[in-house]
Amino acid sequence: METKQPKVYIVIPAFNEGEIITNVIDEIKKHGFPNIIVVDDGSKDDTYEKANSVSGVTALKHKLNRGYGATVKTGVEAAKILDADVVVTFDGDGQHDPGDISGLISPIVDSGYDVVLGTRLLDTAGMPFHKIIANRVGNFFTWFLFGIWVTDSQSGFRAFSRKAIEKIETKSERYEYASEVIREIKYKKLKFKEAPIQVRYTRYSMGKAQKQSFVNGLKTLYKMVWNLIS
Amino acid sequence: MILGLHLYQIAIAVLSAVMVYKGIANYAKRETGQTLLKLIVRLIVWGGMGAVVVFPSITNILAHVIGIEGNVNAAILTGFLLIFLIIFKMFSAIEKLEQTISMLARKEALKNLPRENNPNKQ
Repeated sequence: METKQPKVYIVIPAFNEGEIITNVIDEIKKHGFPNIIVVDDGSKDDTYEKANSVSGVTALKHKLNRGYGATVKTGVEAAKILDADVVVTFDGDGQHDPGDISGLISPIVDSGYDVVLGTRLLDTAGMPFHKIIANRVGNFFTWFLFGIWVTDSQSGFRAFSRKAIEKIETKSERYEYASEVIREIKYKKLKFKEAPIQVRYTRYSMGKAQKQSFVNGLKTLYKMVWNLIS
Repeated sequence: MILGLHLYQIAIAVLSAVMVYKGIANYAKRETGQTLLKLIVRLIVWGGMGAVVVFPSITNILAHVIGIEGNVNAAILTGFLLIFLIIFKMFSAIEKLEQTISMLARKEALKNLPRENNPNKQ
């Protein structure tokens, strides 16, 4: 008897990625994942127009810039409406390798996991030193505040089962979203595992000002603490 | 003075009790984001504030532990507490506004989804 193939949706949050978004989409499609949702977070460039021009891509746009967490949430909500069985979140700056998508979704499809977290820190080769340190600090505070130890709490490359996207409730709008998901995994007792991913640190992706800088890291930490006491 | 307590002590104790009650109620109702850790932090912050104001001698123990001599002037303490409360409420209000804006932006974005069972489509 033929088993039904799960409907996998790739959610790409994007902010001012017009230069590269078409390449990112094409690469994902070449790896056999045609269901792609691009959420443009109020970009000032032509990110939305370029994503919308690619056949088969669902392009959505926030009229105002709302941050990484809010953008991923919009993409996940869209995937729910489109009846996704598995949702993969994938950064729009080309740093993730679409070749890793299969490795992220197979524990969900084959072994019944709810969430698979892509981790850059199982193999740190090629990763800038300051990013390794920043990640470890993020991991420590995520463990300290939310009680789960993971090796890459800030990774944007993750896969979720239908059950997980139905259960996970987040309100974080910016980068603290990544840690909030970890908290939800614990709180909602979701079965999770980590899977190694490759990251391509290009001049383009490293040059993006809105990524996790030291100051943004402090803001993220502040928001994590604030969400605890408010 | 009522029951040996000054008016400001009663006011702050009531406020602390309300905040502690809200925290416990939110946790009991399992509202979004209400974790045990969050409840514990709330109990420590607001419960501690209530305990200090009702039993000021606790501050002597605290002062002894951290090595600061002398008591805290009640007026300054009340002022700080009021400012703390105002900032706390202001930040909460901003946070809620931000979330509402995001929700509206999301609803607007999802309207364009070409799907019949899309609840955001009008």
